[in-house]
Amino acid sequence: MSEQPVIEMQGVRKAFGKKLVLQGVDLSVPSGQTFAILGRNGAGKTTTIRMLLGLLKPDQGHVRVLGLDPKTEPLEIRRRVGYVAEDQAMFGWMRVGQLLSFIAPFYPTWDAAWARELSDRFELPLKTRVRHLSKGQGVRVALLLALAHRPELVILDDPTLGLDPIMRKEFLRDLVSHLQGERVSVFFSSHLLYEIEPVADSVVILDHGRVVRQAATEDLRAQVKRLVTAAESEEILRGLPGVLDVSRNGRQATAVVQDIAAARPALAAAGIIVEELDLNLDEIFEAYVIGRKERPDATAHLERVA
Amino acid sequence: MRQLIWKEWHEQSWRLGFGCLVLGAMALIGLHARILNDNAMMMWVCFIGITLLPVLSITGLLPAERNEGTFESLLALPVAPWKILAAKTVMGLVLCAGPMVAAAVISLLAAGGREMLDQDILHLYADSTLSAISLLLWMMALTSRLPSEARAGLLASGILILWILATAGLAYPSVPPLARAISPLVFVYQFSGDHMGPLLPEWVNLLVAAVIAIVLWVWTAKRLTGAVEGES
Repeated sequence: MSEQPVIEMQGVRKAFGKKLVLQGVDLSVPSGQTFAILGRNGAGKTTTIRMLLGLLKPDQGHVRVLGLDPKTEPLEIRRRVGYVAEDQAMFGWMRVGQLLSFIAPFYPTWDAAWARELSDRFELPLKTRVRHLSKGQGVRVALLLALAHRPELVILDDPTLGLDPIMRKEFLRDLVSHLQGERVSVFFSSHLLYEIEPVADSVVILDHGRVVRQAATEDLRAQVKRLVTAAESEEILRGLPGVLDVSRNGRQATAVVQDIAAARPALAAAGIIVEELDLNLDEIFEAYVIGRKERPDATAHLERVA
Repeated sequence: MRQLIWKEWHEQSWRLGFGCLVLGAMALIGLHARILNDNAMMMWVCFIGITLLPVLSITGLLPAERNEGTFESLLALPVAPWKILAAKTVMGLVLCAGPMVAAAVISLLAAGGREMLDQDILHLYADSTLSAISLLLWMMALTSRLPSEARAGLLASGILILWILATAGLAYPSVPPLARAISPLVFVYQFSGDHMGPLLPEWVNLLVAAVIAIVLWVWTAKRLTGAVEGES
């Protein structure tokens, strides 16, 4: 498929004073996908998103969103993108209906009928002041504002932060049900991985301002495995290519490898029997951002795979 | 732009009401009670206006939105940051000029032609309004990235005090008139020139103030989208 990626970042660096927040980020988000950006607090997710919207300028590198440069065409990007910010603050004194009327004229493609439909589906009280909305209603209002102009790309910066588990599930259900079939690309930042797993087509893992892995979610699940073997084989596990994390628990040694296909020949050559276990996204993420710290030498291999 | 001004009006109109009430009541009560002569009373009204109104305005325009987080939401809309600033500036001008106009009308009705000519009263209030607006632009430029109203209010008060001190320093006879023209408070001295050394013609002072205002405004607009103080 030769379709242009909706987001492209090449060698993007950004520092705030002496603090380097992004350290040469390369990223490519294919069109029509739900793409999750994962990282711990301070990994650079929000900085990346603000850069995509032209709210921050990169110190180095190139950024393209929908084929446009956020430095020179930020308004055109914001017209075509729906954005829900982390813990988004809205104008508390406005009633929900007033807020919609206030925002609508900024978007030439605002679809009033679609906005009404969404407000009905989300059961939003149009006459209630925004400051009196519950947290869940507030997030739904933000989602409505992000979708009502029928954007080509929706950027969500940890939108479920502060919601209880039921509300988070409802939010994701709303999001997925309204975007399915619309061929809208979604760029989704979160650190609640078990929620992202069912909806993300691809993920990128960001750690301390660096991309440590970008892959399709299915590929990631297929490639990253936990190996369990006898404790005596711990040293062999440590020597495997692309090993992320090794630990010992009683008579067992376990390792997480990022590419099981690359590890199998080494295991066969060593002649040890291992049990291969599947990992969920949460465990994979943990192996990359925690295991990697313990094995800095893994970085080179990680970058080759990414 | 119309929506932005509508939003600012809804958020700031109470400040306009408060300013009109304070200055209007002060002018009405002071001129009716005649504790001071009319000129001194109106000077006090103007002094309170010049010190109160820019600080009152500035805390509500940018830092309040930074504090609540709604400024980020505004910046994320497909609207040029300079338009956001323009709407806030228009509201700031209304907040500074509105109470001064109210006080001028009350002064004219209560004491017009009694001890001062109507045109002198108008001149006094017009010059004071220009000083308040000049101070507002200085404060807006220097507090635009502050994330709290309290800090902005403190800094704005500091700017006000520094300009009062600087203007007093500029009043020395050896200071060239062009240097005096840079002070936002130069307009205060225009109707009583003997408090300061020789002044440039009024239109030159206006021109200098306009150039400074444009430079400050453009600088503020350029800094609007940058990182807020303390952000990382």
